[in-house]
Amino acid sequence: MSYSATMKRSLEIEVISAEGLKADRKPLKRKTYSVVSIDQKYFASKPDDLGGSCPVWKHKFDMEMPINGTVGFITVEVRYRTSGGAEKHVGYAKIPVTDFMGGFAPQGHLNFLSYRLRDEYGDKCGVVNVSIMVKPDRSIPVPLPSSSFAPCSSQAAANNHMWRPRTSSSMASTAVYGGGRVVTGVPVWCAYQRPA
Amino acid sequence: MGNCLSGDVKGGKQAIGGVQQRPTSATTAIANNAALNDAVDFFFRSRGQYPLFSQIELTLSASNLLDCDITSKSDPMAVMYLRKKDGKLEEIGRTEVILNSLNPSWIEKITVSFQFEVVQTLVFHVYDVDTRYHNVPVKTLKLKDQDFLGEATCVLSEIMTRPNRTVTLSLTGNVRAGVNRNLGTLSVLAEETVASKTVAEINFRCVNLDNKDLFSKSDPFLRISRIVESTAAVPICRTEVVDNNLNPMWRPVCLTMQQFGTKDTPLVIECFDFNTSGNHELIGRTEKSVAELERLCLQKEAVNFVYPSLSHGRKKILKGQLIVDRFVEKVQYSFLDYISSGFELNFMVAVDFTASNGDPRTPNSLHYIDPSGRSNSYQQAIMEVGEVIQFYDSDKRFPAWGFGGRTSDGSVSHAFNLNGASYGDEVVGVEGIMTAYASALRNVALAGPTLFSHVVDRAAHTASQSLSQNSPKYYVLLIITDGVLTDMAGTVDALVRASDLPLSVLIVGVGNTDFRQMEILDADNGRRLESSTGRIATRDIVQFVPMKDIHSGQVSVVQALLEELPGQFLSYVRTRNINPVGAPAI
Repeated sequence: MSYSATMKRSLEIEVISAEGLKADRKPLKRKTYSVVSIDQKYFASKPDDLGGSCPVWKHKFDMEMPINGTVGFITVEVRYRTSGGAEKHVGYAKIPVTDFMGGFAPQGHLNFLSYRLRDEYGDKCGVVNVSIMVKPDRSIPVPLPSSSFAPCSSQAAANNHMWRPRTSSSMASTAVYGGGRVVTGVPVWCAYQRPA
Repeated sequence: MGNCLSGDVKGGKQAIGGVQQRPTSATTAIANNAALNDAVDFFFRSRGQYPLFSQIELTLSASNLLDCDITSKSDPMAVMYLRKKDGKLEEIGRTEVILNSLNPSWIEKITVSFQFEVVQTLVFHVYDVDTRYHNVPVKTLKLKDQDFLGEATCVLSEIMTRPNRTVTLSLTGNVRAGVNRNLGTLSVLAEETVASKTVAEINFRCVNLDNKDLFSKSDPFLRISRIVESTAAVPICRTEVVDNNLNPMWRPVCLTMQQFGTKDTPLVIECFDFNTSGNHELIGRTEKSVAELERLCLQKEAVNFVYPSLSHGRKKILKGQLIVDRFVEKVQYSFLDYISSGFELNFMVAVDFTASNGDPRTPNSLHYIDPSGRSNSYQQAIMEVGEVIQFYDSDKRFPAWGFGGRTSDGSVSHAFNLNGASYGDEVVGVEGIMTAYASALRNVALAGPTLFSHVVDRAAHTASQSLSQNSPKYYVLLIITDGVLTDMAGTVDALVRASDLPLSVLIVGVGNTDFRQMEILDADNGRRLESSTGRIATRDIVQFVPMKDIHSGQVSVVQALLEELPGQFLSYVRTRNINPVGAPAI
C-alpha cells in the first residue's frame, strides 16, 4: 500500500440538524453552528437563524479524507458564539469512518447518520443528524456502460448472476452509483485499521 | 396532579399538525394515517371484501370540561374507540394534548373508514393528561394513569346524515363518585378525506407585532384554520412558539391538501401570544387562501393583520405584518404509489429455535409437534402472517432462516437455513416456509442463547447488496420469536447499523411471555435506539406485534402487521427523494 499514502476520497457532508441540545441540563436557546473536522482540517456551518434546542443547518460541503488508515473518525461539534464573541462548545460526536465506508454502505450511498452528542464531562447533550456520501473515485477511469450495466471487474464479468439479488458475498465490493454508471469498489476500508 | 404547582407549561409550545418530517427523524407516525389505511384497504379490496366504504376524518372539540388540576385548568386529550360486536372497544386514534383549556378544539384529526352497511358505534373518552406526561408521544400514554373527564357515544352514520355533519354530545361518566355534575359537551365534525398528494411547504415570518406581555415581549405562534361552510373554522395546524420576539420567524409549515381543502379555500391565519395559563391572547388575524399565500410569496408582499374590534364591529388594521418567505408546492406519493409502480417489497423470515420455547415433545411447548397434526403457535403465526406478506411480496420467494438452534453438525447457529440446505435459503410461498419449518424442527435441536443480531445483519447485508445494484427494493425481515432475548445490546447495535438501509424488521411475538424487551426495540415511545458506540438509529425500523393481541381479536392480522410498515417505508424513500418508478421528479 505504498501509494495509499496519497490516496484521498472526496466526501460530501451535510450537517442537517440537531435535536434536544442542552447546556447545563437546560434546553439551549442560542444560535448554534456546527463544525466538522477531519484530520486537521475543519469546516464550520452557518449558525441557525432561529436558534433554540433543535437547530436546522442543512449546510453541505465537500471534504477530502485520506484513506490510508490514519483517519478513524470524523468529529462533529456543536458550538455557539456569545455576545462577547467567545466560542462556547455545546457537545461533540465522533463518527467512525466504518459507519459510512465499507460495512453495509456501498459507495455512492447517501448515508443518513445520527449521533449522540456529549459535552466535555461526557454527559448527553443532544443528537446531531448528518448525511455523508462517499463520492465515487474519479481518479480511476470510469467506463460508461453502453447498455444498462457493465461489469467492472473480471470477477464480476465472469459471474452472470451479478444482477440477481442475494447471490454471493463476493458481490459486496462492486458498487453502482447513479443510474447505471459502474465504479470499481476499491476495498479501502480494509486498509483502515488503527494501530491499537 | 402534584406536579402542577411547579408550572404547568412544560411542552405545549411545539408545533402541531403542520410539521414537516425532519429528515432522519424517528417520528413517522404523523401524516401517515392515510397511507396506512391505503395499504390495508388494498389488501382487503383485492380479495373482494370491503365493498363500500369511504375515509372519514373527524375533528373534535369540547366545551365546559371538568377542571381536574388544582392551580391551572385540565390538559385534555380525546381518544376514539370503535365498539365491536362483542362489546370490546378498539382504539382508532388519539388527539394531541391541549394545555390548560376547558374548551379545547383539537387539531389532530382521527381517520376512520365509514362502512355504509355496518352500524359503527363510536366511543369517545376524554382524559386530563398529567403534566409529567407532556412531551411524550400521545400514542404511548397509558390511559389508566390519566384522569378521566367523561365519555360520549354516537353512531358514525348519525353524524354523516346530519346536514352540517356535526353532532354535539354530552359527556357522561362516573368521574368522581357520588358527584352528579355537568361534564361538558363534545362536538364531532365529520368530513370526507380528499385523496390528494399535493403538499404546500410555507415559511412564515411576522414583523412589528403588538406587544402583549408586560415585562417581556410577546411569545407569538400562528394558528391556521380552514373555514368550513357549515360551522366555524376548523384548526388545521399550529406553529411552534417563538419566545420573546416581535419579529418572529417560524420553521416551515407543511400543509397537505387534505388539511387545506382546495387552493382557494379561505384559511384563517391567527397570531397569538402564548400564555402559560392557556389563555393565548390574539395579536391579529388575517384571511388568505393557499393560492393567495403563493401570490404573496411571488410578489414579495406583506399582509397586515387586523384585530376584530368589539365595539362597532369595525376591524382595526394593525401595523403587524405577515410575510411569506417561501412557498413550495410538492407532490407526496403514497405507499401504494410506490408499490404499484414496481417498487418491490421482499420479505425474509427468521424463526426462533431457542430452548426458551420449551421441548417440542411436550404439549405446552410453542414448538410442540402435535401427533394429531394440529398446528402449534409458530405454525399458526406463520400461516396468518404469511398470508399477508405473501400478498405484498413481489416474487413470493422468501429467504427463511432459523436462529438459536443446534444444527446437524452439532454447533449452535444464529442464522441457519430453515430448509436445511447449505446453499440457497429461499423457499416459495407460505407452504414453503411451513415445509421448511417442519423439516427444521425434526433436524434442529432447540438451544440458545437468543441472538437477533446475526439474522438482522444477514438481512442488512442483503438489503445493502440491492442498494449497490441500485434496484428499487425494500426489505422486511420478519422475526417470529417468543420474545426472550439474551443479547439486548448486540441486537440494538445491529438494528442501529441497519437503520439507514431499505429494511424494516417486523417482530411477531408468540406465546405469553413478557414482551417488554420487544417494546423497547419497537421504539414507539419516541425514543430512538442508541447503540453502544453512540450512534443513533436513523429512523424507527422495528415493529412489534404480539400474536395474542391478534388472537384475542383486538386487531386484525393485516392491520397489526401493516400498522407501521408504510410509514417506515415512506420515511426511507422520502428522506432520499426517491420517487415511484417512472414518476416525474418533484
